[in-house]
Amino acid sequence: LQNFWTFWVTSPPGKPKLTSCRSPEKETFTCWWEPGSDGGLPTTYALYYRKENSDAVYECPDYHTAGENSCFFNKNDTSIWVNYNITVVATNALGSNFSDPVDVDVVYIVQPHTPENVTVTVMEDKDGPFLRVSWEPPRKADTRSGWITLIYELRVKLEGEEEWEEHRAGQQKMFNIFSLRSGGMYLVQVRCKPDHGFWSEWSSTTYIKVPDYFPRETSVWILIAVFSAFIFFILTWILNLKSNSVKHCLLPPVPGPKIKGFDKQLLKNGRSEEVFSALVVPGFPPTTSSDCEDLLVEYLEVYTPEEQELILEEGKDLQEGCLKSKGSPSDSDSGRGSCDSHTLLMEKCGEGEGKEEKHQERAQKGKRQQKHQTGWEEGDVSHTREDVLSPDMSEGRVKTWPSVFSPLPQYSSRPLDHQGSLETARQLCLSDSLFPPPSTSSHLSYNAKEGLALGSGQQEFYLGKKQTHPSNPQSQPRWHLQAHSDFNISSMDRKQAASGLQLPGFRSTEYVEVQRVNQEDMVILQPLFSSSCQRDGHLQIGQGEDYSKVKGVDSGNMLLLQREVEVKREEEDGDRYSCDIQDRVTESCYTTSTAASSQVTGKPTSCAGTAMPVQEEMVLAANGYVDAATMLL
Amino acid sequence: LPSSFLCVTVSAVWVGLVCLLFYSRLVRVGAAPICTNGQAGCHILSLADLFDRVIQHSARMHGISSDLHSEFEQYFFPSKNHIGRVNRICHTSTILTPNGKENAQRLAREELTEVILKLLVAWRDPLWHFQQSIAHHHDFNNFSSNKALEMSDMVHELRKGVEKVAEKMQMLGIISNSVNSLTSPEALIPSDRAEWRLMKDYVLLYCFRRDSNKVQNYLKILKCRIIPQHEC
Repeated sequence: LQNFWTFWVTSPPGKPKLTSCRSPEKETFTCWWEPGSDGGLPTTYALYYRKENSDAVYECPDYHTAGENSCFFNKNDTSIWVNYNITVVATNALGSNFSDPVDVDVVYIVQPHTPENVTVTVMEDKDGPFLRVSWEPPRKADTRSGWITLIYELRVKLEGEEEWEEHRAGQQKMFNIFSLRSGGMYLVQVRCKPDHGFWSEWSSTTYIKVPDYFPRETSVWILIAVFSAFIFFILTWILNLKSNSVKHCLLPPVPGPKIKGFDKQLLKNGRSEEVFSALVVPGFPPTTSSDCEDLLVEYLEVYTPEEQELILEEGKDLQEGCLKSKGSPSDSDSGRGSCDSHTLLMEKCGEGEGKEEKHQERAQKGKRQQKHQTGWEEGDVSHTREDVLSPDMSEGRVKTWPSVFSPLPQYSSRPLDHQGSLETARQLCLSDSLFPPPSTSSHLSYNAKEGLALGSGQQEFYLGKKQTHPSNPQSQPRWHLQAHSDFNISSMDRKQAASGLQLPGFRSTEYVEVQRVNQEDMVILQPLFSSSCQRDGHLQIGQGEDYSKVKGVDSGNMLLLQREVEVKREEEDGDRYSCDIQDRVTESCYTTSTAASSQVTGKPTSCAGTAMPVQEEMVLAANGYVDAATMLL
Repeated sequence: LPSSFLCVTVSAVWVGLVCLLFYSRLVRVGAAPICTNGQAGCHILSLADLFDRVIQHSARMHGISSDLHSEFEQYFFPSKNHIGRVNRICHTSTILTPNGKENAQRLAREELTEVILKLLVAWRDPLWHFQQSIAHHHDFNNFSSNKALEMSDMVHELRKGVEKVAEKMQMLGIISNSVNSLTSPEALIPSDRAEWRLMKDYVLLYCFRRDSNKVQNYLKILKCRIIPQHEC
């Protein structure tokens, strides 16, 4: 029965298939085949071959050496550069089956064994350790006679990694591997290939451990990083020091509008008529008694304190800080930054507040200066007693500064400096202690670059007379000339430059407010002695205090003040007050502004000065300049 | 302004250095001519260098022939079995060449050199014809045509190189003077029809591929026998 069933399921054998033929050294070769189905019967396989251009058929000489289903051709049976036509036949009781023939030329089927004696050693170099891998060709491959030429390839990887790093080594039997990780465990493998043939298998893995070392490359990088950081810090520090000048270079300040008489506040309020009417300068173009002299630069003479020279030295850097443009003839601050503006001067002058006492101690220096100053005083006093601010103010020019320089004792001013605004500012900065007190009159000499341009609009010219500092018993009264944008000296048909004027020595410094300019072109002044500045533009008037009325400008171009007993104040809306806020240390002013309520600074003191409004537009110089630097205040 | 001047100066210096470097390289790399009859002033190559040069040459020749052969096989004879049926008779089969390592090692140096030269001589004309047919046949692209031309030139150059090596060896007394330039009759293969030519071409490529391999191998054996220290 078994035979019966086997009979039914048996069949001739399936077709065998030659899978591959390989030669390890180009001297012998082996072919393997895959048997097909055996058909249920014991099947035998036979390999037959034919050599090139010969019809003789030979059978495989050796079926066993290479294992099952293989045929091994030894040296005697192997011919190189000869084409073998090989066929495998499967035979069983029922039949046989031939495989497809395969053409083989031994030269092209060489696949050597793996390289042998792979050794890896760690060697030292000046840059660090490296691996030296060496090996030998497979034993059977005869490279010595030149029969086979092998090229090698090795691969390396760290233990635990996935990717191998492969290197071609050419025909050499040694290779160096650099850039090792210190302390790492490496795996190395080598394989070879004849110049025309197949790659061998990878050799067995060789393990090697790299000793710990500190990579020199890293230390160099660390050094470079530290050095760069150091340089960076130094640069940052330098940049920080020079931040001001850098800012000045990179972001030059924007000059403000320079339309004389232009009132931005009015424009904001929407009253365009007033704005435009303010622009109309009655005296412009100059028609009356205008001569070339009007265009000459004249100087505002201010009394200098005793320590004039000393202050000169002290304030030198301040001077540079205050006024950058030396001798610039024009009043405009176009092209100059805020550094050049008056307000910066004020700021700088304010810094010197603390030095006041120090300067006072040195007041005794320089007899010559004192004497000179005395001469000044007397001369001034003599002048001011009689003279008033004449209506011929057209001759004079007042350069008004938007800021107030009252607490600027330490800034000296050279006498009768006919130079530019620099000197002017310096003149304007006077110290308290340095002023001998002329009684009632103040002597002002002013320096104006252009003519006073007085608009019919509201321009007030304030002379501030500051009270004595309580902290400074020796302080002398000073006069402040506070210039406001609304300067109303009608006869003065020149551009008026706001300037802070420092009047030479009064015993007490008081604020005087220019009330108005009456028809005779007299600046009506009234003192501001109230303990507090009223807001909303209301100024309280002290009682019984003296004030001076600016009579006019004398021939010597000096603004003459005259005391009057007149208590009259006006509330003027739309006035802008510039306040001397330099006194913030010792006294405080209330900032008043009509347009908007500004902050109230400080405490109630005897300061009657008006505070500097914070808004930029509030500090409109008499010449119509709005100095953005006033924002500092 | 001074910074730009400095830049110009530095760049000029760099350009000068680079030029100098290239010039020196060019001078160095310039191939020294193989001297004949000991001409004065030329760089005399050592035998090892000569051998290296010819072996490299033969390797390149074999590479090109393999490329062309696979191209042919790919485009014209996709079925491998079909190839098997083709009767490949190479015209160089009349030349007796050793078919194994022992056979090759058994040959004397002179004989080996002679075999090499015979092979190279035998292939000069067939390759030239082949290159001509390739150039005129529009089935092949420029790439193949260039390769064929290069192959043809290389056979010529290689033969001259091997002759030089033989001369040198004779000069050095390594081999006897029995080797002389051979002029074996080349079998001119008639070219009739296109497909016969194609077939012929394929067989030609098959045969040449094998023969170039023989030449390369024989040269290596010769070299390692004469100069065993160098890469053997």
